[in-house]
Amino acid sequence: MSATSGSKAATRERVESWSGQSIPRKEDGRLVQGEGSFIDDLGLHGQGYAWFVRSPYAHARIVSVDTSAAVALEGVYAVLTGEEAREMCVVPFFQIAPGDGARIEEWPLAVDKVRYQGDAVAVVLADSRDTARDAAELVEVEYEPLAVVVDGVEAVEHAAPVLHEKAGTNVAWHGVYDYGDIDFALEHADHVVKIDRLHFHRFSSTPLECNGAVVDWDKGSGVIDVKSNIQMPMFAAMVIGPSLGVAINKFSFSSRDIGGAFGNKIGFYPQIAALALLSKKAGRPAKWTEYRTEHMLSSTHGNERTFLDIEVPVMADGTILGVKARAVDDVGAYLHYEPLGAVIWSQVLTGCYKFKNVKVDFTSALTNKCPVAPNRGYSRMQQLWMLERVIDIVAHELDFDPVALRKLNFVQPEDYPYQTPNGCVYDSGNLPLSLDMALELADVETWRRRQSEMGTGTGKRIGIGIGSTLDSGTNNFGQARIVNPDLPFSGNGEAAFAKLDLYGEVNINVGTTPQGQGHETTSAQVAADILNMSPNDVTVTIGFDQAHNATVGFSGTYASQFAVTGLGAVMGATAKLRDEILEVGAFALQAPKDDLELRDGACLVKGDPSRSIPFIGIANLIYTNNAMLPSELSSRIDLNCRYVYIPPFEVPDVERKMGNLTLTYASQIHVCVVEVDEETGVVEILSYVAVDDCGKRINPQIVEGQVHGAVGLGIAAALYEAFEYDEDGQLQEPSFYEYHVGTAMDIPDIRTGNIESPSPFTPNGAKGMGEGGGAAVHTICSALQDALGKDGAIVFDSHNTWERVYQLLQSSQGNEPRGVRVISREGGAA
Amino acid sequence: MLLKSVNYVRPESVTEALDILSSNEGAAPLAGGQSLTNVLKHRVASVDLLVDISALGELRTITRAGDGSLEVGACVTYDEIDHSPDVRAGHAILARESSHIEDQQIRNRGTIGGNCCLSDPTNNLPPLLVALDATMNIRAVGGTRHVAAEDFFKGYFLTALEPGELLVSITIPPIPVGGGAGYVSLSVATDSKTIVRAAARVRVDGVIEEVRVVLARVASVPIRHHAMEEALRGVAPTAELVRAAAELIGSDVEPIADGHGSSDYRRKMARVVARRAVLAAIEEGGRK
Repeated sequence: MSATSGSKAATRERVESWSGQSIPRKEDGRLVQGEGSFIDDLGLHGQGYAWFVRSPYAHARIVSVDTSAAVALEGVYAVLTGEEAREMCVVPFFQIAPGDGARIEEWPLAVDKVRYQGDAVAVVLADSRDTARDAAELVEVEYEPLAVVVDGVEAVEHAAPVLHEKAGTNVAWHGVYDYGDIDFALEHADHVVKIDRLHFHRFSSTPLECNGAVVDWDKGSGVIDVKSNIQMPMFAAMVIGPSLGVAINKFSFSSRDIGGAFGNKIGFYPQIAALALLSKKAGRPAKWTEYRTEHMLSSTHGNERTFLDIEVPVMADGTILGVKARAVDDVGAYLHYEPLGAVIWSQVLTGCYKFKNVKVDFTSALTNKCPVAPNRGYSRMQQLWMLERVIDIVAHELDFDPVALRKLNFVQPEDYPYQTPNGCVYDSGNLPLSLDMALELADVETWRRRQSEMGTGTGKRIGIGIGSTLDSGTNNFGQARIVNPDLPFSGNGEAAFAKLDLYGEVNINVGTTPQGQGHETTSAQVAADILNMSPNDVTVTIGFDQAHNATVGFSGTYASQFAVTGLGAVMGATAKLRDEILEVGAFALQAPKDDLELRDGACLVKGDPSRSIPFIGIANLIYTNNAMLPSELSSRIDLNCRYVYIPPFEVPDVERKMGNLTLTYASQIHVCVVEVDEETGVVEILSYVAVDDCGKRINPQIVEGQVHGAVGLGIAAALYEAFEYDEDGQLQEPSFYEYHVGTAMDIPDIRTGNIESPSPFTPNGAKGMGEGGGAAVHTICSALQDALGKDGAIVFDSHNTWERVYQLLQSSQGNEPRGVRVISREGGAA
Repeated sequence: MLLKSVNYVRPESVTEALDILSSNEGAAPLAGGQSLTNVLKHRVASVDLLVDISALGELRTITRAGDGSLEVGACVTYDEIDHSPDVRAGHAILARESSHIEDQQIRNRGTIGGNCCLSDPTNNLPPLLVALDATMNIRAVGGTRHVAAEDFFKGYFLTALEPGELLVSITIPPIPVGGGAGYVSLSVATDSKTIVRAAARVRVDGVIEEVRVVLARVASVPIRHHAMEEALRGVAPTAELVRAAAELIGSDVEPIADGHGSSDYRRKMARVVARRAVLAAIEEGGRK
């Protein structure tokens, strides 16, 4: 294992517990020296290079596909068309959606129609990437353009062109979430705040490494070897296996290092299916490394959500009684992992707040745009953003202090475990304390003073924003049944092996697909604690490999769960291994097991270090010297211990849409101070603070790194990044030339604070984290709202370009409709 | 890389480069390659022969003449401009703006000549060179000609260069006593794509004696705003008068629209950056 040499001195010291220490990451030596194994570094003998032929139209009938010129080009091995792919498949990909959505037909490549700009119609395999690209240009596709719909609301509420004729509608899913009695609350509240429309925009996390795979459909064995950076391989196998007519045990998925994923790498299973068929047709492995513009056009985007007719009942003292809204989620042209987004948001139905009455009418809409799939904070950050906008708008309209209003409505420390109206259980936390810490770290008092001193005429305004958010982790897949009652899913789990190898080496295998979260390090830390040895001496195998059998149906890395499911599995497997080592040690040392302990790679009798056996001796007895052992021991113990961690979940109540949908709730409270240039709308961040509470931190520095990353993505989303389509369905930001990703120069210094409220539900007190709940998006919008001031306009969009900020400043001075109204009952004092 | 196969030649002198360029129709000069390589990767232009001029010593010099004018070779990189004592001494604004072009890797390779010859309306240096009244020195097999920067930029990716011609250097006159230059960009983020920008050069002697105001990203090429210049000439260099002059930027400019800003917003912001650039130029002149 290539641990950094600098770490050795630090980590050789004896410590009480390795968990909780910021030990240097074991994987960094490899990664910072360019020695990682990313997807483009991998290859197979005889492989060809794949290039997809993609539609320039957002919606068109495929009249004909002529591959003859491409096939004739020297160096081309094969060209696969959509029609051929369909003929090679047994059935279309299975759909999560019920009803109309279930009738959507998706094949590995587009058949008959293309439904978004970038939809793949054919794929070429050639002796080099350049030849493949040249050949792809020679594939002649005749299109007959069709009318296009690029707006989710329009797609489902007006006479819009239908994308999938077999579904007969653009509504991929619709359902009503109704808890408490919102209409009663609206009737009896002192005030009702009505907001016409809030819009959460489309963007993505654009990982440094695009998608890629090397796929080999081996003719002899029938095994499909898939080396890829897909982050949820078993889900891919589940979707494409039946379609290709292949059993799960005929897939061999594996991954090594992954250069960022953020959920974006869950949804590219159609490409893997197409590559498998291409490999089968060509009789050789197919390697595909996605091009950046290809990634931006056709990989995946985050969910774009429009909230309409929002109504918020508020009491005179500021108590918020609930929220009523319609939500239309634009999920793009096909359902990749969707419509799970139509339920996943309800993990954070009420966000950080205690209100009991909620009614949300939710629709997943198909549009002629890139399909969406999970993106850091998947489906929850849209809801959390809406709720934070609601809080700030209520404060703004009814003249409450945004801090006091939050504190009044927060779930309080004494409420945990707190059950939400839809049956989710918030495990632990201290939101008021987190907020106080964030305000103090940001020195908000001083900024408030400077804000009031600034006055008019300076051309500058200061705004102070708060983003309170939850990072719900460890899904209960039973929530899928709320979307489709026929889905046989519930619970969650992860598997790990802990093995003592032949010469006494400790090795950990886990079924996750790490993308920079430091799984090698934190796995070694928790294993080292159990075996009472240094994490430097624990090897954690890189990446995911079906062949290791350390996988279960939900294996992968997504949805903020590794610290719970992954480490839960590692801890369980290591505890089993510890027990086996002690049993063999008891035999070898002729001492009762209870009198033994492990220390630094040896088993010894407590209080008598002269009686000890090193791990190599223990391993020798099992692997290469087992006639020494009584058969009772050798038949039972193999020093290769598998453990599956299963979180404590129940199947949700589908009818009432009730259940504990996630196991843990980390919280993030962010505070920022911005300065707005009134003449231009340019926003400068003067101060940024993030306070994180993710329970017990296994490696605080890794947590901090994740917090920084989430802040950067959120700030960039709020100010710079957006995927926008014109009326013809052409993506306006198909490269980094147009799509500005926040760089180190754009992201301010981030001050961090933390609170540890251990989770009572997890094996180690930790909670999943890393998504950050989109907190920075909420926080920037909140700061802009504050800068707009009393009587100012409403921040209605999650994306605020300089022009939009400028317009908000302008409309604050005019008498244009503000999109918000307050209705107060008599006697209700604002 | 995903280039189509292309021929490549590395001439030993400018004369040889000109010979090759004039005798090969599909030839294009390659300097830093920071734009051309991308264009080729995207396959939006086809070139049969790349003539690599990046290492030609004749194109890589910076000279300050006795009168204070500056001559910068076409293949001098942004980073070299930024760190040149000659540039910093008399034309600090050129060094400063070169230090903000994209990232360090690009600044190590990209050249002033490439920045101009691409004539991309988002490029940093063209509006500045027009404001500074630079002259583009152009050579062909037949001889040399000089074109004012103002007349060099002809349209999107289009310049006054004729086939077979090569931009060899750029001459920038000295900034006179009482004079200063200003450059203000409104960008999407730090050192990123610009939404609108302005460059200005002024000379003040009690009143504004000389002034050039150049707007970029409001048209396919940098444009001087003559009405604003006219309004400034002969008036006192006060914030109020500069503001009033900038208000003359109106429907005479019709900027493009994209995801980072509408046409109307760009026009309004052109007034802001033009005003700020002129004020910065006045301030710099006053400091000398």
